[in-house]
Amino acid sequence: MMARKFSLDDSSVVVVIGSGAGGGTVANELAQKGIDVVCLEAGKRLSLADVVNDPAAMDAKMGWHDPREGTGVWLCKTVGGTTMRWAGITPRFQAHELKALSTYGQLDDTNLIDWPLSLQELEPYYDKAEFKMGVSGSRGIPPSAETNAYKLLKAGAKKLGYKEYTSARTAINPVARHGRPGCRQIGFCFSGCAIGAKWSTLYTEIPRAEATEHFELRTESMVVKLKHTDDGSVSGVVYADAQGQLHEQKARAVCVAGNVVETTRLLLNSASSLFPDGLANSSGQLGRNYMRHMTFSSLAIMPGEVNFHRGTRQSGLMFDEQYHRPERGFAGGYLIETAGVDPSTLAAAVGGWGASAAEYLDNYTRMGGVWVTGEDPPQTSNRIELHDTKRDQHGLPVPVLNYSFHENSMAMFEHGKKQCEALLESLDGRRPVSTLGVGGGCHNMGVARMSDKPRDGVTNRWGQTHDVKNLFVSDGSVFSTSAAANPTLTIVALAIRQAEHIADRMTRREL
Amino acid sequence: MPSETTTRRRFLLAAITTSTAMSCGFNLGVIRSGVAWAETSPDMSSASIKSLIHMARSLFPHAGLADDVYAEIVDGMLSASANDPTLDSVLRQAVNALDAASDKDFFDLSEVTQLQVMNSLSESEFFQAIVNQVRLRLYSHPKLWAVIGYPGSSVEYGGYLERGFNDIDWLPEDA
Repeated sequence: MMARKFSLDDSSVVVVIGSGAGGGTVANELAQKGIDVVCLEAGKRLSLADVVNDPAAMDAKMGWHDPREGTGVWLCKTVGGTTMRWAGITPRFQAHELKALSTYGQLDDTNLIDWPLSLQELEPYYDKAEFKMGVSGSRGIPPSAETNAYKLLKAGAKKLGYKEYTSARTAINPVARHGRPGCRQIGFCFSGCAIGAKWSTLYTEIPRAEATEHFELRTESMVVKLKHTDDGSVSGVVYADAQGQLHEQKARAVCVAGNVVETTRLLLNSASSLFPDGLANSSGQLGRNYMRHMTFSSLAIMPGEVNFHRGTRQSGLMFDEQYHRPERGFAGGYLIETAGVDPSTLAAAVGGWGASAAEYLDNYTRMGGVWVTGEDPPQTSNRIELHDTKRDQHGLPVPVLNYSFHENSMAMFEHGKKQCEALLESLDGRRPVSTLGVGGGCHNMGVARMSDKPRDGVTNRWGQTHDVKNLFVSDGSVFSTSAAANPTLTIVALAIRQAEHIADRMTRREL
Repeated sequence: MPSETTTRRRFLLAAITTSTAMSCGFNLGVIRSGVAWAETSPDMSSASIKSLIHMARSLFPHAGLADDVYAEIVDGMLSASANDPTLDSVLRQAVNALDAASDKDFFDLSEVTQLQVMNSLSESEFFQAIVNQVRLRLYSHPKLWAVIGYPGSSVEYGGYLERGFNDIDWLPEDA
């Protein structure tokens, strides 16, 4: 691969921080338009040969293990970011979910707003994202093959009278496409796809950007601070290389895509006399409205073998409960998706100890399960902030994550649990258990949300910060509300849209 | 003349291999680092280690699983505790609590009494910490996987595309 190199004092480049769904996409989209990009990634660059079917080993290779306090998250420090770990499920948002405040009305103890853009505006970018990612069942791509776990979901859905279920809508190739092979049903999607059938920016956006010769990836480059000029424009970024040596890369514009925890931390750590509460934080909303989705699994012992470990970890989903139907006792909705977990994850989910717990787990091959992701309303008290005293290996304050469920999420959980357990019991599943974790910590949203009014959020409808005109946020941090859907498709769609906007502004010499 | 350490090692190995390993089929290699740990922890006896092994088995008793796997789990915790003060403290609290529960050694108690003791401790933080440790280690162990039918890594077999990813056969006909 021809690798273009840019000099540190080249102030014509756009610097993209992070190489995952948001960063990898916005960087490639800019490079494809002939815009020079330097992408700084804190992690290393793995190859497919590094991917093994060993979750602990892969977590050691690609997980983010720097110190963090508070509610746990499950994120990646590697080229590709969490696209290495994601399940590949790509539902779109529904129109009403982008109008949360108008649709749900004021909810106590929430900070609901409408998105500053409509589904209609987003749809062309969903189309582009689906084409780029190779979403099954779209654009002539066949639906994904029906796994055991999906057949179980479908059978239970029919029993309960649900109608809208599909094995499509995953960004895992059902057949070879665009240089990547079809899925072999290996079953370790959360630990990196060993053959590259699942979309990850590691082997799609990044090499495509490199091929343009408008792109340089610097790995093991941890950005510690954004610098700005006296008039409040971002002028460059300071990063530590693998040896801890600091460098400053000048920049024409900066796109931050560190996944919400690091995006928040970087902007807060970039406080200055001009921006005393953190960069782009005149609203005081930076780090607030942190959302994670209401997620849980329901599991049961089925009457026959399921072997849910065979095949893609999430191989289908159901939309019937995604709608807003207040008669259920809560605002917003949830998606029911297939589940399949390895024994240690299952054991942790089932909990307990003693003969009864062991007997439960003896039924591993007959376990059936579903996984749910539901809308999580924004709360100002759900917040990521900096630790007063604790510092990481770079001397930076460590992030503190404060998160608790809203009562709307608890009501949604009660409803979902009843439905999911009924689904499993309709197929003679027994001993159902449902476990509400504070999420796996893989869906992270909010903290720099898009808002029409600068006082309500950190970024505008393009993900451009209200306060700093050449500073953009390009990850799930910009979500105004969480909707129910797994976030990656929307992150990619917004990144494509943002790259178009940046290129357009550059052409008009506004950036 | 053997050093004091060597003597102690011989004593502990003898104690464990004769009283426990004989009956449960323990593997000597597994026990060794537990012994090394006991050497640096004069207050931790081979009996205490044996009690922890019994506790591990009672936490998640799988009939199909050989005892040496539970010994391996305890061994793993003991080794890890050398660099993990929290785990070290948790193990010591567990051992003390198991010892204090009866005049007899915990491992000598009947299964029913062992369970009673464990139930009486089950609300304490150290007990929960041990449950979590044993659970994670046990259910990540390939020998446990073999018992419950989980094969582990599949990429070297070409995944499940031709090996049953869609072979479920008991669902209702109308589904």
